Order: sequence, then structure tokens, then C-alpha cells
Amino acid sequence: MTYIGIIITFVFINNFILTQFLGLCPFIGVSRNTESAVGMGFAVIFVMSMASITTWAIYNLILVPLGLEFLQTITFILIIATLVQFVEMVIQKVSPALYKALGIYLPLITTNCAVLGIALIAVRSEYNAPESFVAGFAAGVGFLLAILVMSTLREKLDKEWVPKCFRGVPIAFVTAGLMALAFMAFDKALLKNLLG
Amino acid sequence: MFNEFSKGLFKENPIFIVLLGLCPALAVSTQVINALGMGAGVIFVLLGSNIFVSLLKGFIPEKIRIPSYIVIIASFVTIVDLVMKAYAPSLSRNLGVFVQLIVVNCVILGRAEAFASKKTLPESILDALGMGLGFTLGLLLISLIREVFGAGTITLFAMGSFDGVVRIPWLSANPARVLGLASGALLVMGFLKALFNWLEDRKERAA
Amino acid sequence: MKQIFTAGSKLFLICAVAAVTLAGVNAITEPVIRERGEAELKQALAALSPNAGTAEAVSVSAEEVVRTYYPLKEAGQYILELIGSGYGGEMKILALFAGDGTVLDVRLMDNLETPGLGKKAELPDYMLKFKDSGGPDRPVPVRKDMLITADADAITGATITFVGIAKALEQGAEFVREVNDVQ
Repeated sequence: MTYIGIIITFVFINNFILTQFLGLCPFIGVSRNTESAVGMGFAVIFVMSMASITTWAIYNLILVPLGLEFLQTITFILIIATLVQFVEMVIQKVSPALYKALGIYLPLITTNCAVLGIALIAVRSEYNAPESFVAGFAAGVGFLLAILVMSTLREKLDKEWVPKCFRGVPIAFVTAGLMALAFMAFDKALLKNLLG
Repeated sequence: MFNEFSKGLFKENPIFIVLLGLCPALAVSTQVINALGMGAGVIFVLLGSNIFVSLLKGFIPEKIRIPSYIVIIASFVTIVDLVMKAYAPSLSRNLGVFVQLIVVNCVILGRAEAFASKKTLPESILDALGMGLGFTLGLLLISLIREVFGAGTITLFAMGSFDGVVRIPWLSANPARVLGLASGALLVMGFLKALFNWLEDRKERAA
Repeated sequence: MKQIFTAGSKLFLICAVAAVTLAGVNAITEPVIRERGEAELKQALAALSPNAGTAEAVSVSAEEVVRTYYPLKEAGQYILELIGSGYGGEMKILALFAGDGTVLDVRLMDNLETPGLGKKAELPDYMLKFKDSGGPDRPVPVRKDMLITADADAITGATITFVGIAKALEQGAEFVREVNDVQ
């Protein structure tokens, strides 16, 4: 697939949150406030891009030649945990306010299905190094897009009346469901028409 | 003691109350058999991880506890993945990456950190069973709704001449297909969570 | 300093035990997984043609649509392993072709299509749309408007799956004609 194709696929067609359900926990947890949503989005883009290129390297340059593919899950998750630790330290130094705003959700990027998800998907689809990086970046952008739209919607919803049992999480899920319906407009036909 | 087991089923149900492990819950709940397979995998990993974390709690230094838990959990996940690929290939194909994604299922790391690292072995085992079963029940509920109304079928194990698919008369000809798609999953989750909130609320007002 | 060393070596020990255990499990399951894959392929080939048992695989490419083919010399036919581009990703297709490129039988193998929609292509009747096309007089239908109404209706909501399979078969037919001409 071309790079444009990969970008369109992971940002729109297979948007990680709205079509693949990867990254739901922080999506529901951080999307109440637009600023922290954007901060989380950028942190995720960084981790996902770095993770996909690093896991590609370890998998194709170390695991496969040694016949150790079965260690894929362990090595990938350890790489991601290390990366997140590193990102945490950097954010703490560079922007203590953002660090505080993200709170517990920053270390939770480690258990974010989206990061491990893109690493596994890139390997399954047999992408090469630059393609893996672009896929990680694009999937992160897709996550940012979904969480950004979601946070603006939720900020509006907070001002409206919602039936009591729906307040908070349930209405967020219903909103996400409607967003997912809208995103169904982006499918492979769109990709084919755009790229001929 | 029994409480350690039962709390995972309802009061602290991972999916609906604590809202952990959502990604696989929505992704694999298109068919009942997938929910059962995923549930079994999660119970196995939870048991393995809770047991070992509890056994090794004196051995693992505090500083490296998260990476250690991760290695233990990832090992059990790999075992499940390999065994499924070898002995249940169609289930493995249906669940896809979500088998490996069990390793980032917050339920498992959460229980290791919050419970198994502090409690005794028998308590940890019961906790794992309760949480795992609660997770599976939640998953079953979502997939029953999604499959029955979204496809008009209930897919179980194939046995002999029974191909494993129970077809519901009127529904399998006129299903609400949206429930089988991504947005349907999110909508079902939203309404179910609202239902649970409503039930909680009624209980509190009655008390 | 000593603390870091102890912590580090404990973590290393845990990793080592994990790696060894997994190597063990892998040693047991890997042959099973491989054999199962081979058996499935054998079964699929046999379902397409009774002569397939003696055919030799010829590797074509790891990246193109046509991956491998099995020439059935006596019948003058070919079985091709094709990779189609479906809604959920790659689709593995096994197809039996006559020497002039006519599609005789098709099986959809590994795929990630949508259950209830694209996945219907796994049913045996689905592939009847392509039967007897691909030869010199009748091209493989690659667009919805090239199908009869009943077929076109049947693929509603799963056009991408259909086009993916059709395009793969089209390329397969062309490939068969080229290989056959050489002989």
C-alpha cells in the first residue's frame, strides 16, 4: 500500500477507536476536556510512531532470524512499557501542567490496546520499516481525531440535560456509537476512488 | 472467602462497573462463541498471573514489579495464543490480534497490582476466578444481544451434524445488522451501562 | 547500587524462566500448527480437483496477486493461490482454471471479511457467479453491472469483497493464459 493509502486507512477507514475498538479506556476517560484530550492525543501519536518502528526492528532484525517469533508478545509489550516510561519522564520535565492533567492516564498508555495493536497489525500486514512508522503515526492521528471530536461533543453534552442513568459514561458510548456510524462513510471505496 | 469470588461477578464486574477490558469486549462480541473463547482465555491468564504474582510477592522487588507482572502476564498470553492456534484454529482466526491483546487487558494487570500482590494464594485464586467469570458473563451478555438481534443467530460449538449455529426464526431473516457493526457495539454498551446505572440507583434508593 | 543489581537480576531471572517455558510450549505447538496448515491446504486443493494430490507447487511471488500455482498436467488445468484485496484486508483464494483461463471452481480461504456480509463469499454457491468466466469469450465480472440482477442483489453491502475476489480471479486467468501459452 502507498503511504497515502496507509494514512487514509488508519485515520479514517480503520480508525482505531471507531472501527477497531482499540484505545477505548483512555478515550472514555480523557475525553471530557478538550485540552487534556489533545495532550493525550499527541502523547499517543508519539508513542505509537516510536513503538511501531521499534517493534518492527526488534521483530524483523532479531526475533525472526533467530526463530523466536513466539516471544513477540513479551518483547513488544516490554518495548512499549519502556517507551511510555521515557515519555512520562520527558513530559514531566517539559510540561508539568500537562503531566498533572493527564495524571494516571499517562502510564496507562502502556496498557492502551491501540499501541500494542498497531505494533501487532503492522507485523501481521508485513509492512516494512517506513510503512510501520507511517502506520503508527496515522493510527495515532486517527486516535487524536476521534478523541478531539469526542471531547468537543462531550463538552456540549455536559451543558445539556441527559437522563440520569445515562449521564457520564453511557451517553459517551452512545455518542461514540453515532460517531462510528458516521465514520462508516469512509470505506475502501473511498480509498479506491481517491487513489484510482 | 466466598465473597472474594462473588464480587467479581456483579458488584465489581470488570466490564460494567469498573469499565476495564473494554476493547476486546466490544471487538469480539459479534458472536457468542467468540465471547466464550475470549472469556476462557482471559480466565486462564488471570488465574496464571494471579497465582504467580501471589506466590512471588516476596521475591519481586517493588521497583520492578510492573515489568515483572507484565512478563508473567505476557507469558501466559503467549501460551494461550500458541495453544489456540494449534488446537482451536478457527477461534484463533476469529479473535485475531485480540488474543495477544489480552496482555493489555487492564483487568489482569489491575488485579495483579491491586490484589494478588498483597493477598494469599487461595484468595488470589478465588479473585481470579470471580473476575474472569464476571468478565466472561459481561462479554456473553453483550454478544448475546449483538448476535441475536444483529444476525438472528447464536453461534456455539459445532458438534456432530449440528454446525453450531442456532438460527432464530424471524430474526435471522430480518436482523438489525447495525448491531453487528462497530457502532452497534458502542450503542449496546451505552444502553447496557445506562441500565446498570439505573439498577444501582434503584438499589440505593430502596436501601 | 546493590539494590539495582538485585532487582535487575531478579527481573532477568523471571524473563529467563518465561522465555524457556515459552520455548517449550512453542516446541510442542509449532509442529501441530504447521501440519494443520498443510493439511488444510491439501484438503482445499483436493476439493477443487481430484488430480491435485500429485501436483507440484510452483512459487511465483511473495508480493503479487498470484502467489503459487499447481499445474495439473494431465487435465491441462491449473490451481492458483491468489491474494485478493478485501474489505478487512488480504483474502486467500484458491481457484481452478482451465488452460485458456476459464474459471472452473473457486474457494475463499483465510479472510477477515464482515460476518453476514462479505463472509458470505465463503459459501459454495457464491462462487457460481464466476464459473465459466475468464476465458477468451467471457471476461471475469469485475463490476456489479457485469452481473445478472439476482447476483448483483446478493452482493449488496459487500461489493468490495466481490470486487476483490473478481480482480484476483481476473489476474489469475491472465496468468494462466501466459503460462499455458509458453507450453
